[in-house]
Amino acid sequence: MIEVQHLTKRYGPFTAVDDVSFRVEKGEILGFLGPNGAGKTTTMRVLTGYMPATEGSATVAGHDVFADPIAAKRSTGYLPETPPLYPDMTVREYLTFVGKLKLPASVGKAERTSRINAVMDKTHIADMANRHCSKLSKGYKQRVGLAQALIHDPEVLILDEPTAGLDPKQIIETRALIRSLAGSHTVVLSTHILPEVSQTCQRVVIINKGRVVAVDTPDNLTRQLKGSATLYVQVDAAGADAAPVLSGLDGVRRVVELDRHEQLVGFEVAADADRDVRRDVARLVVDRGWGLLEMRPLRLSLEDIFLQLTTDETGNNSAPIAEGPPIDAAHNDAAAAASGKDQPHA
Amino acid sequence: MRNAFTIAGKEMRGFFVSPMGWVVMGLYALLFGYFFMAHLTYFVQQSMQSQMGGGPININQFMIRPLLQNVALINLFLLPMITMRAYAEEKRSGTIELLLTSPVSDLQIILGKFLGALGFYAALLAVTMVYVGILFAFGTPEWRPVVTGYLGLLLMGGCFLSVGLFISSTTKNQVVAGAATFVVFLLLWIISWLGQSAGPAMAAVLDYLSIVWHFEDFSKGVIDTKHVIYYLSFITFGLFLTMKSVDTERWRG
Repeated sequence: MIEVQHLTKRYGPFTAVDDVSFRVEKGEILGFLGPNGAGKTTTMRVLTGYMPATEGSATVAGHDVFADPIAAKRSTGYLPETPPLYPDMTVREYLTFVGKLKLPASVGKAERTSRINAVMDKTHIADMANRHCSKLSKGYKQRVGLAQALIHDPEVLILDEPTAGLDPKQIIETRALIRSLAGSHTVVLSTHILPEVSQTCQRVVIINKGRVVAVDTPDNLTRQLKGSATLYVQVDAAGADAAPVLSGLDGVRRVVELDRHEQLVGFEVAADADRDVRRDVARLVVDRGWGLLEMRPLRLSLEDIFLQLTTDETGNNSAPIAEGPPIDAAHNDAAAAASGKDQPHA
Repeated sequence: MRNAFTIAGKEMRGFFVSPMGWVVMGLYALLFGYFFMAHLTYFVQQSMQSQMGGGPININQFMIRPLLQNVALINLFLLPMITMRAYAEEKRSGTIELLLTSPVSDLQIILGKFLGALGFYAALLAVTMVYVGILFAFGTPEWRPVVTGYLGLLLMGGCFLSVGLFISSTTKNQVVAGAATFVVFLLLWIISWLGQSAGPAMAAVLDYLSIVWHFEDFSKGVIDTKHVIYYLSFITFGLFLTMKSVDTERWRG
């Protein structure tokens, strides 16, 4: 449904998108994940025909966005990062204007009105139909933006951070709405919120500094990174030798003290991937007479994967993910990266 | 063309729901009213004098023609306010993303914006017709030169608007767009002044370039294709530049 091949976009000397290729099948929801300035918005703008690419090609619903932009735009609905609303129009006036622009000439006035009503119901904005766009809350603005993208019932929906600025309830509603659109629509959404991807998307493209660093399902990405099983163990009244003793267990690769509150000590225990060391750890702690207060698996979330992939200096897809830096180190790197390397948003 | 009219309608509506549109219209009526009063007082004086010696004087020639020529001055100050927001505002608020990703061509967007601005300008001229109507109520001016005069004003305004649109398309900032448009209008007007000190050949060229010079024949009741073609090609050129500017912006991102 969407095919992007070797897409490159340069702004003068700055390369915003560098040789990006991916496909989106019909009815799929693809998550476009990356830190700010990674090139998500630029890629989406190329796909929607807002700007041409420097190199490469993009096809939407069978129409080349460069050669046949009008046809491609007719089958695309786009929600930009800031909803493109006219402040002095009411919601209904606005949707009428957009409807006139986007619906083919064959759609009459009555049908246009019924479409507008339908799309307002779908996005739960019917109660604001006569409110001026400038008077809407951020959540409603976002939903009017979504209504605008849906009005011509496009095959492809491109949503740039559709849940940004919404409150938790609205986020849940919006995600449910997006999920309900899958199947009949092909959706590409960008986000830097990771749970969003695992909750809404069937496939993820992780992009960093204009390059694709990974393309996979959220599940596969999580699985790939389970190179080692890691536990968090909190014990009470342990001696100073607790860490070496734990390391001595068969199958335990590494023990790191994470926190200490008086008698309570928390350890991160990394074990070989194929071993479940929880019974052994529990037995050891009890045998030693310490109190076992907490033991839980430290699972690699999409967050960790994301940070590992995007903080990897080589930015190379082929870098073996499982041998990435340990979790805590990754966190630190990422924090440094987030504060230091914040690129201006393209 | 349907899309262009949709956008033109939206632009027109934008003028009438914003205070800006009403302020411009009010100022337009105020300035025109001032010129109307000044010319009328002068005309009354002149006709008194001419009654003492000689025949009556022509109201078209002594009143309406200079009055309509003064509209160029009003346009100079007020038309930048019509076009300055056309593109600048859409770029600033991000609504340009909606227009450029809708199944509409650049030409349709530009024509729509031009027609919208021209429509609002026509509404301004319609307001001034009230004053001219007063002359018809109390006197018997010739109506044909009035019609050609208004046609000329529409074409002259179209030139200003197409240039204004182009300038607006080059910036995000309304104030910059407005100020630059004003300066360019002024240059286009006073370019013929240089001609007075240059040789006659140069003067002819500079006169020809001046937007206002071409209006004179219209105000006299003459429709000369030379001037119509000048205005129409000027408008086309302005819209062409706008199109190139929008396209350039698109490539530069």
